[in-house]
Amino acid sequence: MFKVREKEPDYAFIPNVDSPELNQYGKSIDLIKECEDLAGKSLNINGDSSIGENPNRYKQHGFYFNADNCISCHACESACSEKNDLPPHLAYRAVGYVEGGTYPNYTRLNISMACNHCDDPVCLKGCPTRAYTKFAEYGAVLQDPDICFGCGYCTWVCPYNAPQLDMTKGHVHKCNMCVDRLEVGLKPACVAACLGSALDFGVIETTPENRDQLETSIPGFPSPDITNPNIRFEQTKTLPREMTRTDSMPLRYEQDEQGRLGENSFHTKVHETGKSKEWNLAKLRSREDPLVVFTLISQGVIGAFLMMFLSSTFGPMLGFTELSIEYYPIAFPITLFALLGLETFALALSTMHLGKPHRFYRAFNNLKYSPVSREVASIAVFFNLFAAYTVLTVFSGLFTWLPTGWLQSLQTIMGWGAVVAGPVALYFMHSIYRIKARPFWNHWQVLSSFYGSMFSLGAVIVLIAFGSVAVFEGQSILPLINYVALPLLAGLVIEGFGLVRHRSDLKKNGGEGAASYYEQITTFGKTYLLRNALLFAGIVIVTLLMLLQAEGAVALMLWVIAILTIVSAAYIGRALFYVLVIPTTMPGAFFWRNKGFQEHARETGLADMPQVGVLPDIH
Amino acid sequence: MLFGRNKKNPIKIADKGVVEWKYTTCGYCSTGCSIEVGLDKKGDAVTSRGVADADVNRGKLCLKGIFEHELFKSAGRGRVPLMRKKRFDEFKEASWDEALDKTASEIKRIQEKYGRDSFAIVSTGQIMTEEFYTLGKLARGVIGTNNYDGNTTLCMSSAASGYKRSFGSDGPPGCYDDFEHTDCLLAIGSNLPEQHPVIYYRLKAAMEKKKFPLIVVDPRVTMLAQMADIHLPVTPGTDVVLLNSLAHVIIKEGLEDRAYMEAHTSDIESFEKLVAEYDPESASRICGIDADMIRHVARTYAKAGAAMTIWTMGINQSMHGSDGVVGINNLNLITGNIGKPGGTSLSITGQCNAMGTREWSSCSGLPGYRALENAEHRKEIAEFWNVDEEFFPKERGLFMTDIFPAIETGQIKGLWIIATNPMTSMTNTARMRKIMEKLDFLVVQDAYEDVETNEYSHVYFPAAVWAEKEGCFTNTERRVNLTRNVVEPFRESKPDFWIFNEMAKRFDHSVTFPENTEGAFNEMRELSKGRMLDYSGLTYDKIEEKRGIQWPFSEDAEEGSPRLYTDGEFQHADQKAKLIPLPFVDDNERPCDDYPFWLNSGRVVEHFHTRTRTGKVGNLNKFSPTPYMEMNPDAAKKLGVEHGSYARLTTRRGDAVVMVQTTQRVSPNMVFVPFHFHECVNRLALGLLDPHSRQPAFKQCAVKIEPIVNQGAAAVRNKAARAY
Repeated sequence: MFKVREKEPDYAFIPNVDSPELNQYGKSIDLIKECEDLAGKSLNINGDSSIGENPNRYKQHGFYFNADNCISCHACESACSEKNDLPPHLAYRAVGYVEGGTYPNYTRLNISMACNHCDDPVCLKGCPTRAYTKFAEYGAVLQDPDICFGCGYCTWVCPYNAPQLDMTKGHVHKCNMCVDRLEVGLKPACVAACLGSALDFGVIETTPENRDQLETSIPGFPSPDITNPNIRFEQTKTLPREMTRTDSMPLRYEQDEQGRLGENSFHTKVHETGKSKEWNLAKLRSREDPLVVFTLISQGVIGAFLMMFLSSTFGPMLGFTELSIEYYPIAFPITLFALLGLETFALALSTMHLGKPHRFYRAFNNLKYSPVSREVASIAVFFNLFAAYTVLTVFSGLFTWLPTGWLQSLQTIMGWGAVVAGPVALYFMHSIYRIKARPFWNHWQVLSSFYGSMFSLGAVIVLIAFGSVAVFEGQSILPLINYVALPLLAGLVIEGFGLVRHRSDLKKNGGEGAASYYEQITTFGKTYLLRNALLFAGIVIVTLLMLLQAEGAVALMLWVIAILTIVSAAYIGRALFYVLVIPTTMPGAFFWRNKGFQEHARETGLADMPQVGVLPDIH
Repeated sequence: MLFGRNKKNPIKIADKGVVEWKYTTCGYCSTGCSIEVGLDKKGDAVTSRGVADADVNRGKLCLKGIFEHELFKSAGRGRVPLMRKKRFDEFKEASWDEALDKTASEIKRIQEKYGRDSFAIVSTGQIMTEEFYTLGKLARGVIGTNNYDGNTTLCMSSAASGYKRSFGSDGPPGCYDDFEHTDCLLAIGSNLPEQHPVIYYRLKAAMEKKKFPLIVVDPRVTMLAQMADIHLPVTPGTDVVLLNSLAHVIIKEGLEDRAYMEAHTSDIESFEKLVAEYDPESASRICGIDADMIRHVARTYAKAGAAMTIWTMGINQSMHGSDGVVGINNLNLITGNIGKPGGTSLSITGQCNAMGTREWSSCSGLPGYRALENAEHRKEIAEFWNVDEEFFPKERGLFMTDIFPAIETGQIKGLWIIATNPMTSMTNTARMRKIMEKLDFLVVQDAYEDVETNEYSHVYFPAAVWAEKEGCFTNTERRVNLTRNVVEPFRESKPDFWIFNEMAKRFDHSVTFPENTEGAFNEMRELSKGRMLDYSGLTYDKIEEKRGIQWPFSEDAEEGSPRLYTDGEFQHADQKAKLIPLPFVDDNERPCDDYPFWLNSGRVVEHFHTRTRTGKVGNLNKFSPTPYMEMNPDAAKKLGVEHGSYARLTTRRGDAVVMVQTTQRVSPNMVFVPFHFHECVNRLALGLLDPHSRQPAFKQCAVKIEPIVNQGAAAVRNKAARAY
């Protein structure tokens, strides 16, 4: 048990005051009301089996932040980092700020933020390994680094940047609400350290002494609707109508016309700073590079398999026999195996992308909630059905011992199974990105893009595999082209249509999504135009070649160009998809938690000094 | 669990395994927080926490204190003494005997050849009071140089000078408890949330209990200015005009405490005559605060039951620093706000022991607030130390800021620098480089061998840091507090106290040097008996028990003294405080067509001084790892300077490259640059010296700003200047 020292000042103790029954989201503050047997259990902190005597142990607790008072002295962050022995490059609690007004009527609003131990913890739901638990004790949402495999998905879904992916350790860790201190009635270390009378803590919905408000939001704070966070605010001083951020996120917060005080009166808008259109190709690289490859390959493999299986099944009925094992007794099986190999490579890439790849099997732990678990599981189902189909098809000779008709049936079952599982897997893959805290991703365009790539890249793979054989054997590629050109075009058009709609919705909806779009047309403006041009060129070339039914060397050259164009557009597009996302996260400061400075420190080598607090290489 | 895992592992929370806590006082600023350092089983210092029942900090610490235990093993610490023949040779490791012998022989050689005062000593505000006392004894009583001063000339000299001029003695009359009693607080050029966060905590706690008007005078919209009820964005360097004008209004409207003035102040007439010239309308045209506001503030201050003024470098680091302090004292004397609860002139000091050096180091005089100019004082000390009275000079020698120019012109040939880093802290870095090159002999004594000044040394003494030794600091409110020895000094580094004693052994003299710091402390107690600065009742154990005690504390005292001059008796011969007229002469460098911006400098909360300590603690340094400036976005836009890019600053002295942070916190004709970084703001600053305190005007000069086209090259240049 945490030892309370002698003469500990009063401010360090959590006051025992009455709280309402329900919180502002309508949920019970008493956490064991419906399940009393949750009471009386030890938290087993560092193996200590005793049980804390805090009288409000089973009530939801939360931080209280008086934004008028925060002076950005960093005492809270530092007390936290000191207690939890954190290295400089990460922190469970961080202070950032928004500012506005004109000298000397200038206001800086500092915001200190850690984990909000939400009623609806999206981290917990998103985590594929079930590393998270929301405890009946204090309502603390705690994460176990020994379970975590370092996928970082919780860092995507959390709107407050609370979970910290520690690249040096390969796992996530986060604010533990100082439950060791709570057990003995002490406030968390950060709160006890506060020098500005800004940060406080207690049972949620209890107003600290000398305070008047229990707001659920302040400017710069993401919508509480996403997770129902357990933090309450006071912010009574008049703020300038427009607040901007000092970090590199192109966001500002604008008060609505009524100029009301309190929550939701500020709207997130794009902060256009007149940036020029750039290429920034180097910045296209990110930690998510393996996912660029993984998603594109998986989509292509599923698409190619669909085309091969369906042409084998329905081709003869339609008089199309040029894409079947009978027609290509060697190329067809080799291609099936190549696809298997390609998908194996993609899966390996995505596994190695984990902080702790050897814990990959834990990906299935949270099928109930986590889209990551569902994606991994459905990809695994597809992969196994597809592999079974391949083996049964290619090595049918090995299965002659099966009763008559069984092989055929098995092939059909496995094949059709994979045909269904593939697109289902892609649906789950898309669900991963439908994150409220990441508006740039939270759009159906992700699905249109993934299915579009399935068709277009699938067709490209088929074209490359069988077209080259046809050319090598001196046969006409027209029948093949006539079979794949439609799905190819359809894929490109679906992708393009999604992008157009995505663009207009981002602009219309404003906020972080619009800010991502602003980055897309400025920081990556030229790259973005190139991708669009490539996509358009792909559509034009394929349409022309198909309409003209062109053959010969020139046509062949044009097909090669079309394929290169399509693949480049897909790659650039997917890379942009990952680097452009701007989460609805808390504002940073000028150096600390400023993505722009972190990039600068890495580029210039400042990050090589560990005390700069930026890890040198994130790839 | 509500959701998540049914089968849970034990919750792991970092446990540092503390088995023992040791009592110390923070070694950064002069707030004087009591810190307990936690030691684990191996005896390693693993954590720090504010002492729960210490009156100063009440269990709290700022971020620097929170990580203070990391100093003991931080990068760049001095391991062994180093020596070299010429400053451009490679250092060779040496034994302590070699290094001390060499230094002593060089001191003697230089003094014999060029005279006693040709060897200078520049000390600090960072070491313990006993160490200051011992160094003073060594410098004044053994080595015998009158060119002996401390870096406090860069921070508190104006405050000390102003106190002496007004009250007849140094010594801040107030305390933090005054926040609990005041009815109006005026803060001039003091940004507590950034510079003294724990004092801000005390202020905030008092304001939460009982609200009173907070008036902040600062050209920048600091956090304190934002928290203020009234913010006066004054024109840089014109505080004296504002103060004179406030006095003008108070006298003119009959709001003064005439009875107090007549009983306890002298020179009323000449003072009143002078302030009569400073009507708010005329003053407003100089200080940039409108006349109505001046009247409003003057009335608020004068009508408050008790009113107090605090200030820091915004006043001190100015051409009129000493006058600014006197102006504040004038304001409080005419309103009767000295020596009463909630009414005071409280200088918020910079370094942990700037007060200790003022009290005991003999830099500006002799120990215990004694003056070289006073024959009786010379005699007392000469007898106590057993030296010839005539060995003492009859007036103080050069200030730190005059010692360097004396090196430039060759009067001073040798220099001993102790725990200060003029290569970063002094203005006009280029001139400083030329000066340091001229030295025949430089010995640098510092806890860090990578301290930039070491670039010019011939001998380097690795010193112990903070709680690697034992002794006392005095804080801003005259509280003497103790640091117990927590860990052994790093590698072969030694306490400054040991180094001074060892050095003394290498000179012929008749003075005794006590073996340990407590012995030196007892000498100080003896010397302080019956004086205003009375230490006689203090003992180490009593100090620790009370978590620091405010002097005067006589042998029969039960409690420390929160305030001075409670009886209205001052230290001038007539026991009155002087009301001093302050004519304002503005000959500072001001923005012009060629250099259109004010250049202001100051501290940020995560760093201390020249970053030799904080630049190596990642959890501090990360908040500002590289130099930057605050610049108004409208001004930046006009010049094509972008937020987050590097820009070039040029003054008549030199140039510097900094990263730009645009913010409306600064006015369109001012930029603010933190002073902590090497090869940065002090390449630019002018630093005209205050005539009384010789403190440089770090905060006011004129600068030009240009965007940099080649950002890559700027980044390379910036990084090249950063060893840490």
